[in-house]
Amino acid sequence: MKHIVKILALVVAITVLWIGLLQTSVIPYNHTWLLPIYFVVSLGCYGLLMVGVGLMNFPTCPQEALLLQKDIVEAKEYLKQKGVDLTLN
Amino acid sequence: MELADRAVGFLLSVTSLSIFTYYTFWVIILPFVDDDHFVHKYFLPQEYAILIPVSAGVTLLCFLSIFVGVVMLKSKRKKA
Repeated sequence: MKHIVKILALVVAITVLWIGLLQTSVIPYNHTWLLPIYFVVSLGCYGLLMVGVGLMNFPTCPQEALLLQKDIVEAKEYLKQKGVDLTLN
Repeated sequence: MELADRAVGFLLSVTSLSIFTYYTFWVIILPFVDDDHFVHKYFLPQEYAILIPVSAGVTLLCFLSIFVGVVMLKSKRKKA
């Protein structure tokens, strides 16, 4: 709930800044109109960059995978002893 | 497999950074450069700075809706 308040406040602040720029016309009019699209594009670029960085340093733990495989074999044996049918269909 | 993932991640990062740099240059810096400067040869007219992102967004939304629709149809067929 707190996060959404933060994001909404940021959006409102950016909108107010943009409307102020539109009203005062410090920058030429048609360049001010480009700014929201610029924000959207930079947000998309940020998301893509985060996905790329996350893929690049994706944590893998081979030792844990070996332990998990061992656990699976153990559990299968235990269930077979108890008489559970484990054949996949 | 891990190397391929790493390569894809690197490619994504490079793509996003280059798009960001190019677009920043296009939208923020270019209006302050003189109209007869040679840099203007490497950029499309200013209208395309709106047209391309909007069309890309609409295309993305279309593909997303088609994907969601296909998944819903598939899940319905499985239930029946």
